Amino acid sequence: MQLILAIFWVFLAAYKSQAEEIQSSLLTVETSNSSDIDGAVVDAHVNKNNLIGSLQYFQGNEKILYPFNEELTIRPLPRNFLLTSFLFQLESNEVTKPELDSEFNSYKHYTVFPKALSPILDRTQTRQLHLRFTHGLWDAEEWGQLPRQGYTSGGNGVEMWAVIEAPDQKAAFQQWISLANSLSGLFCSSLNFIGSEKTTYPVFSFLPESQIEPFFDVSNGLFLIRAALANEPICTENLTPFLKLLPTKGKSGISSLLDGHKVFDSQWHSMSIDIESKCDEFSCKYEMNEQIEMVFHLPNTLSRADRPIPKPLASDELRCDESKPHDDYQCFPLPESRNLKFDLSKLFGKSISGTNLVSETPSRICAVVAPNWNVLIRVGDTFFSTSDNCFDISDNNFQDMVFETDDTSQIIPLEPAPFFASRSLTGYSQDAGGMRTVIKNPTNDTINIFYFESLPWFLRLYLSSLKLESDSGLLLRDVIQDTFYSPAVDRQRPSHLEFNLSIPANTSIALSFEFDKVLLKYAEYPPDANHGFEIESAVLSVMSPMKYTVRTATSLLPLSTPDFSMPYNVIILTSTVMGLVFGTIFNLMVKKLVPLEELEKQQRTNLLTALKLRIAGLLQRRPRPSKSTQSTKELQ
Amino acid sequence: MSTSKLRKAVSLWFILFYALVGVPLWYKLTAIYRAPLPVKYIEAVHENLHSDVHVTVPVYVRSDTYTFPDVHDAVQVQVNELLRSKQGPVTWSLQVLPFDNTTVDPELDHVVTLVLDDDIGFTILYDSKETIVFFNDETVASNDVPFFVAQTLVEHTFELEWRKFSSSTGANDQNSMAIEYSPNVHLSLSLLTGDGRPVAWDIEPVLQQYFTPLREFLAPLVNFTVDTDIVQVNDLKLASLRGATSPSWHDLSHAIDLSELSTTNYYKERSVLHLAIVFPSAAAGELDFINATTIHPWQSFLVPQWGVLMLNRKPLDDNTRITESYLKPVIYSFSRELLQLLGLTSGNEDLSTPYVTMESFQRMTILKNLEKSIDTLWSLVKLTQQFPQMAVPREVLDDVTAALDLRLKIVHLLNDPCKGGRSTWNEALHLSNELLALCEKAFFHKEMVQQNFFPQEHKIAVYLPLLGPLTVIMLTGFINAFRKKGLDLDKKER
Repeated sequence: MQLILAIFWVFLAAYKSQAEEIQSSLLTVETSNSSDIDGAVVDAHVNKNNLIGSLQYFQGNEKILYPFNEELTIRPLPRNFLLTSFLFQLESNEVTKPELDSEFNSYKHYTVFPKALSPILDRTQTRQLHLRFTHGLWDAEEWGQLPRQGYTSGGNGVEMWAVIEAPDQKAAFQQWISLANSLSGLFCSSLNFIGSEKTTYPVFSFLPESQIEPFFDVSNGLFLIRAALANEPICTENLTPFLKLLPTKGKSGISSLLDGHKVFDSQWHSMSIDIESKCDEFSCKYEMNEQIEMVFHLPNTLSRADRPIPKPLASDELRCDESKPHDDYQCFPLPESRNLKFDLSKLFGKSISGTNLVSETPSRICAVVAPNWNVLIRVGDTFFSTSDNCFDISDNNFQDMVFETDDTSQIIPLEPAPFFASRSLTGYSQDAGGMRTVIKNPTNDTINIFYFESLPWFLRLYLSSLKLESDSGLLLRDVIQDTFYSPAVDRQRPSHLEFNLSIPANTSIALSFEFDKVLLKYAEYPPDANHGFEIESAVLSVMSPMKYTVRTATSLLPLSTPDFSMPYNVIILTSTVMGLVFGTIFNLMVKKLVPLEELEKQQRTNLLTALKLRIAGLLQRRPRPSKSTQSTKELQ
Repeated sequence: MSTSKLRKAVSLWFILFYALVGVPLWYKLTAIYRAPLPVKYIEAVHENLHSDVHVTVPVYVRSDTYTFPDVHDAVQVQVNELLRSKQGPVTWSLQVLPFDNTTVDPELDHVVTLVLDDDIGFTILYDSKETIVFFNDETVASNDVPFFVAQTLVEHTFELEWRKFSSSTGANDQNSMAIEYSPNVHLSLSLLTGDGRPVAWDIEPVLQQYFTPLREFLAPLVNFTVDTDIVQVNDLKLASLRGATSPSWHDLSHAIDLSELSTTNYYKERSVLHLAIVFPSAAAGELDFINATTIHPWQSFLVPQWGVLMLNRKPLDDNTRITESYLKPVIYSFSRELLQLLGLTSGNEDLSTPYVTMESFQRMTILKNLEKSIDTLWSLVKLTQQFPQMAVPREVLDDVTAALDLRLKIVHLLNDPCKGGRSTWNEALHLSNELLALCEKAFFHKEMVQQNFFPQEHKIAVYLPLLGPLTVIMLTGFINAFRKKGLDLDKKER
């Protein structure tokens, strides 16, 4: 140990001398070395000479590339909508086991993978993390399948699930809460509101695609845990952390297009992060996919860019139906124009600031458009086009894309959704209600769907009331192949319901069940209790013949809300009753009870006595010479 | 007994029962539990801080040339005299003992070796805790050796303690550069470039070779966890100083934005220190104000309690790999400044006697931890006294009791003259860190703050609708019962 330290100090002294700053103290140290350290001193001097002989601080012979890819896909949708999908793929350096961190020769290195995430994942022993921030309505009937088969789109609000390695479920839950709290700070969201009453342990749905083996400890188990915050607002402060996780920090490459004002001004947007750890016996590697997807309504977004402050159009700019009367004051509007020309910079409010330079492959933009669309990339004043409408951004200049078409209704055929699902609340009672989910299989194949439902504990679910409605006379046992049900525990865990459904071709079914609404405790109501309580989306995943996941809309459940001054009213009323009872008993015990006849007699006597006294008083008040008058008279 | 008297007795009993049993019972049942903290004891310890502490460090004297059978006693007298001349707030002393080959380990214990030489002098070895005192025959003749040894020990070997414990300000003087002591510190080393250009650095071999021994050496005091990262497109807003030729440190501290590097929240360690090696962007161009040379293309800046900034004058080219030749002096410089940031050294100086300094620092940290823990407990006592309605849960009392017991255990370790080796200080430091954590756990008990929102007025407001009518009914009944007696008497008189 001392020898190592000696080498260290002497090396340091050598470099110090290089800067002509050696102090006498260390020189004294060198001279006072024992003989076994002399070798190290010689080594140090040799090394120092080498250093001065070849002072090469920077090398630039090899190309440095990091595991980072980014791609933007732009796809027109029917009725002048446009889907833009940003995909960023990152990979971490090798990560060792956390218990090795405090070993003297253990160092962790980060390049493109965000340093902000890795310590959190290590600390909570998270092997997979999936985060979804989604808002808006995806019109599946018009727009077809969700991007990436719905895997990256969450329900309205924030959703999170993870595979956590832990010795038991209790420990896994503690790690899960720690993970949620850490991510809450990182993503400026309310993930810290996730507690046991929102957490479920999925059985059929959300399963990892590949087998995961324990890494941190072979005796550990792996726990799949999920929670969602229904209809949680998604805002600019959530986008900024997403951009900060990228090595380009949103300053170059395709991420330079992203701006909160535009992303959240869209019809539908989804931001997601998926992190998976690939481990061998000694180290792990994190692979991260970050997606930001949004659907713009082009005429609205472009007109917002032209006129940031909405004001009426001039009469000559109005598109009126000329077959009908029209003038400055009267106009029957035409349908939206199908003739469209726009720049990407106008859509996003920013140009692309060149490519990202750290990537193994250059930034790529692809437009999936019909042949009647012209897609050009503009660098300075020069325009470029390619046969497949995919562009690799190779230089560091500002770039833009131009889209032009004479008919926006012509688009590349969309992949139809394999099934449709919608869920609604039924009933209007204050203390009970129901839920009805309609699932439609428009395909010619029977599909197997995993239905996942997590309902808050204040909905007391009656599984016995489960009913199936179907035009083709299907029964519950024909459709439900498997069920998992974990009933709610008040304030501790939600109702967790999962079905494995088999829905025949071209069939619609409606599953419905009833529930009771529980009265909450006074302090459990949120400040805006009359707004209602958000119920998170149901998740439906089909595994065969294709993979597809869809979430229903969130529901707003009205619960009976008390008058919040009620406790004080109760206190006052109870106290008054108690006061009355006590007062009566007390008076009975303390006051004298007199029979009515005696009272009247007494009153009469009292009246006579009072009369006598009054007369006597009047007599006494007769004018009599006062003492002062007498004395005055005497003086006179 | 007449009915009138009975009624009076009943009303009196009601009033007495209400006042003597009902109200106290109500108060007791609605009172918040407040565990009885040992206030007097904490106050006494806080007022006489370190009064029960007497740090004793054993030192062994050996002489190779002459045999001085009573030199240790003579040195002890001189040391005591010297320490008495400058009494500080902390009592400390050296226990000078004769050297015994069988029991003393020169690598672990403080040893003074007397060496006959032509001149007098001393040297403190950097690789052990040995102090060599050179003396000549004249000093022996004039009996100056004990004084000289005592002076060397007190004023040089134990200089840190001499300065801190025996100064009027005591151990309280804060080094504004150093972070608060923490047994676990995270080091975050970052390479920043103003552009998104691909760069790399050979940091792993440099750290393995030059930083690992330092980590190992400092392990008894601080455990480090270290990570490195490359941050693209972030030059800490140095570009705003592009035109400046000689900005003051004031301009620099205003311009530099460290927010993105201050990642304390992500780590489990409470303290994080940073090293940021910054290269400006090509767009910003060269930073003229950086005082760089061909050998040192960077200039180092120490940011108090944050870490070290190494600003480079020139931007990096594409695909640049920063070599070990560049990183070695950087890591050296950082290591030196790290000692300053940890509070081991106070200025831009080297750690010439690392073993001795580190042990002194350990002792000082133990005392500082004792002081901080008592301060925390005193704050807890003051808090509970200032908020009489605040709950004091039983766990707080348990923690406080455990902390006070632990404190006594540490004091026993420090005071025992038979101990005092490296293992003792390591154990005491470990226990003092535990003590601090225990005190903070007691102070930050969540129930204490939660219950603070239910003041006495709230309780009275809630119960007044019950207590008010009851009081009025009973009082008026009582007064009426006794007024009747007065009226009856008046009647009789008439």
